This record gives sequence, structure tokens and C-alpha cells, in this order.
Amino acid sequence: MKLLSLFVSFICIIPIAFCSVPDTEKFERYHSLSRVAPIELDDSSYEDITAKPREYHIAVLLTAAEARYGCILCREFQPEWELIARSWNKGSKPNGLRMLFATLDFSNGKGTFQKLMLQTAPVLLVFPPTIGPFAKVDDAPLRFDFSGPISADQLYTWINRHLPEGPKPPLVRPINYMRIVSVVTILMAAITLFTILSPYILPIVRNRNLWAAFSLIAILLFTSGHMFNHIRKVPYVAGDGKGGISYFAGGFSNQFGMETQIIAAIYAVLSFATIALAMKVPRIADTKAQQVAVVIWGSVLLGMYSFLLNVFKVKNGGYPFFLPPF
Amino acid sequence: MAESPTDVLLKGDSGRNTRGLLRFIILATIAAAAVSSRLFSVIRFESIIHEFDPWFNFRATKYLVQNGFYSFWDWFDDRTWHPLGRVTGGTLYPGLMVTSGVIYHVLRFLTFPVDIRNICVLLAPGFSGLTALAMYFLTCEVSPSPSAGLLAAAFMGIVPGYISRSVAGSYDNEAIAIFLLVFTFFLWIKAIKNGSIMWGALAALFYGYMVSAWGGYVFITNLIPLHVFVLLCMGRYSSRVYISYTTWYALGTLASMQIPFVGFLPIRNSDHMSALGVFGLLQLVAFADFVRGFVPGKHFQRLLTTMVILVFGIAFLGLVLLSVSGVIAPWSGRFYSLWDTGYAKIHIPIIASVSEHQPTAWPAFFFDLNFLIWLFPAGVYMCFRDLKDEHVFVIIYSVLASYFAGVMVRLMLTLTPIVCVASALALSSILDTYVFASNGPNPRSKANDDTPSEGLRSARKPEVGITSYLSKAFMLTSVVIYLILFVAHCTWVTSNAYSSPSVVLASRMPDGSQHIIDDYREAYYWLRQNTEHNAKIMSWWDYGYQIGGMADRPTLVDNNTWNNTHIATVGKAMSSREEVSYPILRQHDVDYVLVVFGGLLGYSGDDINKFLWMVRIAEGIWPDEVSERDYFTARGEYRVDDGATPTMRNSLMYKMSYYNYNSLFQPGQAVDRVRGTKLPMEGPQLSTLEEAFTSENWIIRIYKVKDLDNLGRDHGNAMAFDKGHKRKRATKRKGPRVLRTE
Repeated sequence: MKLLSLFVSFICIIPIAFCSVPDTEKFERYHSLSRVAPIELDDSSYEDITAKPREYHIAVLLTAAEARYGCILCREFQPEWELIARSWNKGSKPNGLRMLFATLDFSNGKGTFQKLMLQTAPVLLVFPPTIGPFAKVDDAPLRFDFSGPISADQLYTWINRHLPEGPKPPLVRPINYMRIVSVVTILMAAITLFTILSPYILPIVRNRNLWAAFSLIAILLFTSGHMFNHIRKVPYVAGDGKGGISYFAGGFSNQFGMETQIIAAIYAVLSFATIALAMKVPRIADTKAQQVAVVIWGSVLLGMYSFLLNVFKVKNGGYPFFLPPF
Repeated sequence: MAESPTDVLLKGDSGRNTRGLLRFIILATIAAAAVSSRLFSVIRFESIIHEFDPWFNFRATKYLVQNGFYSFWDWFDDRTWHPLGRVTGGTLYPGLMVTSGVIYHVLRFLTFPVDIRNICVLLAPGFSGLTALAMYFLTCEVSPSPSAGLLAAAFMGIVPGYISRSVAGSYDNEAIAIFLLVFTFFLWIKAIKNGSIMWGALAALFYGYMVSAWGGYVFITNLIPLHVFVLLCMGRYSSRVYISYTTWYALGTLASMQIPFVGFLPIRNSDHMSALGVFGLLQLVAFADFVRGFVPGKHFQRLLTTMVILVFGIAFLGLVLLSVSGVIAPWSGRFYSLWDTGYAKIHIPIIASVSEHQPTAWPAFFFDLNFLIWLFPAGVYMCFRDLKDEHVFVIIYSVLASYFAGVMVRLMLTLTPIVCVASALALSSILDTYVFASNGPNPRSKANDDTPSEGLRSARKPEVGITSYLSKAFMLTSVVIYLILFVAHCTWVTSNAYSSPSVVLASRMPDGSQHIIDDYREAYYWLRQNTEHNAKIMSWWDYGYQIGGMADRPTLVDNNTWNNTHIATVGKAMSSREEVSYPILRQHDVDYVLVVFGGLLGYSGDDINKFLWMVRIAEGIWPDEVSERDYFTARGEYRVDDGATPTMRNSLMYKMSYYNYNSLFQPGQAVDRVRGTKLPMEGPQLSTLEEAFTSENWIIRIYKVKDLDNLGRDHGNAMAFDKGHKRKRATKRKGPRVLRTE
């Protein structure tokens, strides 16, 4: 019985061994080319590495990283791609899962780009094995299109999803020792500097006017919709279609970057007029000067507020209220 | 100066009484105005619960009133989140329901035959009157001017930023929470001013009440420690700070832990760690302060300060380590997304999908606050003049709340109270300067004029007052005009924007008369009357609470979005082909599917517009099966007409929305009025669902899920057979009816 099972397993092994011998060599050959980083390919080696039969997974990033192609996405993604390859190659590979990571740059592989009819870069192709335990019936490569900036984690989870079940090496970001050291150094330098210069710095830190200015600027920024610009990434200004510039976006929940700055300026003028009227004017000793100051600040207040209402009316069509000047 | 009759009333003892009476009358009037300006919707429509969440609160309150408090506490609700159910008693903030329950029982005890629905509808306006009162107290603590408090109360009473969440019928947690927020802050300021255990304990008590009422209590949990921390940094440690903070923290934390939903979060969650950290720091500082009294010597004191900073730093590192290692839970998603604004969109699409979690554009600020928005910075500036402890609080609150309000529309609500305080400070200082009749400085505002040498730049010279009557008249007229404009604005906003119940839509007929579109209630009543009591309804989660409340039918998902996977399941069913969706529907016992469709009426809040969120949420769980990209055309457009992608046109949601819609129009003339596009000639075909009900204006469409075919065919074949098409290939299938799953 034992002999029989041994025999059967032998029979099973022989054909696999026969056809995988050259293939294993190919895997080793390519793997030895670059133990850690992705393998650099050109047209011929691309053909060779993806040729059937293959007993390994291969992920090829078709990219155009050179500066003259002007592909910012490619260049930004390059270090992330190397990170994925490094994490995989350094990590412990489970149950004989074999995978190669390769890069084909446009400057080395124009023929491949033409053959695949690629208009955009980068594109990631993952070829499943055609033989071996993980072989798939459908051996067409899986394609990942980059629709925008993407992190290594997102792409790595995508790749993992299309690999066979089982544990995979985790994505490891290398610890940036340089950064830790520099942060600590800067921190200590700042503390030292602060201790030495404290007689000069403390009065500034304790300056009430400075804090008041900071708080007011923060409040004006936030209440004029700066966070909206930040989150939604709105354009600074836009054309009005007639060659001019439209400063105010149409619609109630829409705005331009410049628009919020105008609004912040309006709010600031109104606030400072209020502050002047409440705090500065009563401290003017000269009667005439005081009278003039009241009229000027009062008019500024009225004019600005009226302008603000006018702007608001533009944003919100049915708004019924207005003040005289505008 | 001649004695006039008014002087008799306004001076001396009787003067104080008169002023007290006047103040009382004014406050009562403000409260009345606050309540009555929130009644637009009741007068125009009827006494009805609004929106979505209030329907759940209403349902929970009814349960509380019918079954008593203990059974409410242990309530397991098997009619939501089918088939999971929800431990409702342990996963809600009970403050609101208990409050209305208590009011109900008190009124019943006093033999008022009042319906619980009316209490729920009128709770928010009632509490807004109290909020105005609390606002008066808070502002009086901050400002010495007697007019500031009254102005603040008036602002708070009618400002749209608060009305938006407290009109009659919006029976939501915020209805009582804003009152509690303002009142807790008042008690806190009182405590820190007096260094009194009593006020600190009261603040803790109301903080506990706040915790039981609203998840936004985290704002208080972080703001008060921040206030104390800033005071310590300014070198303002005193026994007052110590007493009030330790009292508040110890009692408040214990009180908050009594709520089952909060439980041990105060010691296990990063949201609450700042309070704990400041508590520890305060002990250190107190100890150092205590030791300092015994040991003189400059060097030793410096050593002590270093020790305090060192221990605090080590403790801080320990906290960081504990949260990294996972003993302390990380920041909760909602709270964290306030700081890292891109976080929610990538990781928690369900939070990003809610419209009130969007960032705020500037018109919304002006819309909700009108001229207070530019008085607000001026008021904050004036807080720097005296910069007492309470002013520090106002400044911190202002900066922080304006940041939050900028990030999330919903948090406009927390900004509104402090805007009222600050602008009342600014306006009252203008009024105090310009109203005082005789020349020279106002003696009442004299008190705060002994400015320290390092004060504000604009307050260095001595105050002389306004000398000419012309300036006074000019300023007063303009202020009165602004105030009138403010009142008009508030009334207009309230009546136009915040008073429609959203369950009932109002529109104008060509002749100007009002036409009420009541499709929601029509459909929910249809469900109530025509379906079995246990028929499961599937819809997108927005409508879960309303179906539970109005139709009284079990739902799959609702607005309590605790289970992302379950919501994603519904999203997948909606966004997949019928062949994929049908097994999902069968597995979840779904009897009816409800969709909202605004194409006929031009109602933009419908499901096709929300559809991309369903796709995104489903994609988060099943990235292989649902992909957002498939719903956009090659040019990246989201289309529903001839150019729509096949995935879009085969999705269940698309089919259910446009099924039979063609029959309303001439052939080839079907138009979607929301998207403004012409629809394809051929309408979609449904095989696994059948239309059960469509409301008058087609806003709600309900489909019945077909049972398995009697002959064991799949529904596509059965449909084709019924229509007389020939079967394309003969397949022999025998055996019992089986549910096909994939």
C-alpha cells in the first residue's frame, strides 16, 4: 500500500518536474537579477518573462518615469512600487507562492506599449501562472488602471486580492531614521534656543495683541469658508466665458478661493469698524476729530454691510433684503 | 440734574426692583419669541415629526411611555436591522426620550390629557426658550454690562443657526442638547470664577445630563480641559481652578459612565484622554505649588518646574504608547475626521456620505448667523481687553468652534452659542458707549476701564466718551437698522428654509396657492395598510427610521449606521444585476423594496442621486464585485440616458427607478426632470420584482419581491415564457425548488 502511494506520487511528480525544470530556472534567473528591487525589463525580456508556460505570478508596471514624458503620476508612484517589491521580496513567502515584480519603462519598451495599445501610463498588469498549483484557466493578465494618486497599501491590497488564498508578507515601510534623528535634533535645538532666548521671546509670546491677531485671523479664515476650499480643492478663480474673470461662483454651496478671501476681507473691515467705533472713538479727546471718526467708520460699516448683502443676494437668488448704497 | 419720574424708578432700591422686573419681562418676551418663531411648520402643516432621526426618537419615546423605564433600558428591537436586531436600550442616548417621558407623566399627573406626540413636537421650541435664558446667564458671567446678557439671549432666541435644529417637530437630540451645552458652560464659568465645589458639582451634573442626551458631549469633554490647560500655560494656576476642575472631572466622569452607551469609554477612548491628562497635570501642578510654599530658593523652584514638565512629558508618552498598543481605543471615526479632513472619504464613506457632514461654504455662515458673523470677531477682540479666566474660555471656544463649523455643516450648531455671546459683547459695548445720554464716558462701563499697562493697543488711552449728539444719533440709527434687518432675516430664513417637515413637501400652484405633496406618508400608509405586519422592507438607510416609525414594518438598515457591512449588503443589492441581487433579497427575507424617485417631479434628493454612495459603500466591502468606475461612462460622466453604462442600466436601482416610467410619456419622450435628460426609448425590464405601489407623484416606488418560480425556472425565463418568447435552449432541470446562491 505504501509502495503504491509512493509510486502514484512519483507518477504525479514526473510530468510536473519535466515541464517545470526550465521554468524554475527562468524564475530563478530573473529573481537573481534583482533580489530586492523590481526587475528592469525591456521589450525582449518582457516577451520572455511573460511567455507561456510560466509557473509564477508576475506583476509588471508599465510606466514612463523619465522626466521628458512629463508623467507626474508615474514618478510619484515609482518609490511606492519599489516599496511593494521590496516588502514582498524580503518577506517570508508562504507555501511556495512565487511572484516576480518588474518594471517596464516606456523608453525601453516602446514596442510593448504599442502592442498593448496603451495610451496612458502607468498601468499595472498581473499575469497569473499557467502551470503549477496556482495556475488559472483564464491566463489573461489582470489590469489595474490608475485613476489618480494611489498609495502602496491600496495597490498592495488589490494585488493580494488576486493572488491565491493564504498568508502574504505584510507591506513594511522602512523606518526613516534620518527623519527621526533630524526631528529630535530640531526639537532639542528649539528647546535650547528657547531657553537661551527666553528673555527676548517671552514678551512676544505673552503679547496680548499678537494672540488677539492670531485668533481673529483664524476666526476670519474659518468663517469665510477656508476649510471648504481646503477639503473640496476649489479653483482660485474661474473665467466667466467672455474672457473676463468671475469672482463669485454661482450657487449657494459653491465658492472660489478668491471669493472667500474677498469675503474674509469684508468681514475684517466690518469687524475693525466695529472695534474702532466701540473702543477707539470714545478715546479720541478732540470733539471735531471724534465726530469725523464716527461718521467715517459708521459709513464704512454701512457701505461694507450693504456690499456684503449685495454679494449674498448674488449667491442666493431669492434673498429679499438689501441696504441702500448697493 | 432735575429729578424726573423715570429717575425715581431707575435709581436706588426701587430702581433695582424696576430693573429686575424689566429684565424678567424682557427675558419672558424673548422666550416667547423664541418659541413662537419655531411654530411655522405646525401652523402651516400640522403637528408632525420631521426629518429622519426624529422618527426613531419618537418611536423610542412611545415605547418608553408604554412599557416603562426599565423595559426601555433593556429594549431589544427586532424590527430593525433584520435579521440582526438592535440592542436599542444600550445603543442610544436616552436623555431626550426620558425628558419627554418625564414631562408626559408630570402633565398626566396634573390631569392634562396630552398626547405624547404633541410633547415630542413641541419639546424643541420649549427648550429653545430655556436656551435663551441659559444664554443670558452665561453672557452675564462674561460681561459686566447688563445689556450684553439680554442681547445675547435675544440673538440666541431667533438666530437661524439654532432654529435650523429646533423647529417644532424636529425632535432630535440637539433639541435639548444645546440648552444643556450652554447651561453646562455657564455653570463651569461660575465654578471657575468662584472656585466653588457646589458650582463644579452642578456643572458635572448637567454634564452628565448632556452625556445622556447627545454624542456631541465630547466637545465639552475636550473644551473644558483645554481651557484649564491654557490657564495653566498662562501661569494662572489657583486653588479655584483646582477645585472646580477636579470636582467637575471626578463627578462628571462618574455621571457619564452611568449611560450604557458610553460605559467605560471615558477611560478607554482617545476622545476623552485630554480630560484625564489635564486632570493628572493639575495634580502635579497643585503638588508643586503646595511644596513651593515651604521651600524658598529659586533653584529649587526651577527644579520643581522641570520635574512637573518631565513627569507630564513621561505620562504623555505613556498615553501615546497605550493608544498605539491598542489598550486605549483610537479616536472615533467621526471625531478623527474633523482633524484629518480627507480621512472619512477614503476610510469611512458612510460618514462622508451624510450631507450634514460636508464642509461649510461661506454663504451658509451668513445665512445662519447674518450680521452676527462680523460682530463675532469684534467681540472676541474685546475679550482680550480684560482677559480674565472666563474671557480665555470664550476665545478658545470661538476659535475651536469656528474651525469645526468650517469642517462640518452640522457643527454650525456648536458655533452658534459662542457667536451670540461674542457679538452681544461687541454690540453692547457699542450701545453702552453711544446710548448714554449725557456727554462724557458711561459710568457703568467705567468699572472695566482700569486697563493694565500691557493691555490691548486700542485700549491704552483713557476713555473720554462720545461728545456730540449727532454721532450718537447716527450710530444708534444704524445699529437699530441692522437689528431690524437681522430680525427680518431670521424670520425669513426660518419661514422659508427651516420650517418644512421634509416628510411633506410644499409647492406653489400656478395661481399662487399652496400645493402639498404628501407622497411619503401616502406610501408609508400604503405599507401599513396593505402588507403583513412582519413584511420586511428594504430601502436605503435614509428611510429606515421613517418606515419603522410611520409604516411600522421591519427594515433591513436604518439611520443608526452602526453596521457598515449590513448597509453595504443593501448597497450591493441595489447596485448589482438582478441575478445577483435576487439571492441577496431572498437570503434577507425581503418582501418589499422601496425606492425614492424624483424624476417626475424634479425632487433632487432621490435615490439615483444618492446611488453613487451606495456603490462606494458596497465597493468598500466587495471591491471585486462592485466598482464605482463601472457606473461612469468612458468620459467620466454619471449618466442615466442612452449613454449610461451597461452596469448602470442593469443595476437594480436604475431598473426600479425607471420601470414603466416610459408609459407616462409619448413614445421616446420620457424625461427625467432632476437630471434634465431624455431617457432611452426602451424602459428597463424587471423579472424578479413586480411593481406593488407607486405614489401619486412617483416619489416613492415600492416593489414586491417575487417568490421562487413554481416550475423551478429562473425568473428571466419565466418572464420570457409569459411573453410568448421561445426558449433559446432547452435545459432540463428537475428536483425541488432551490434557492440559487452564489
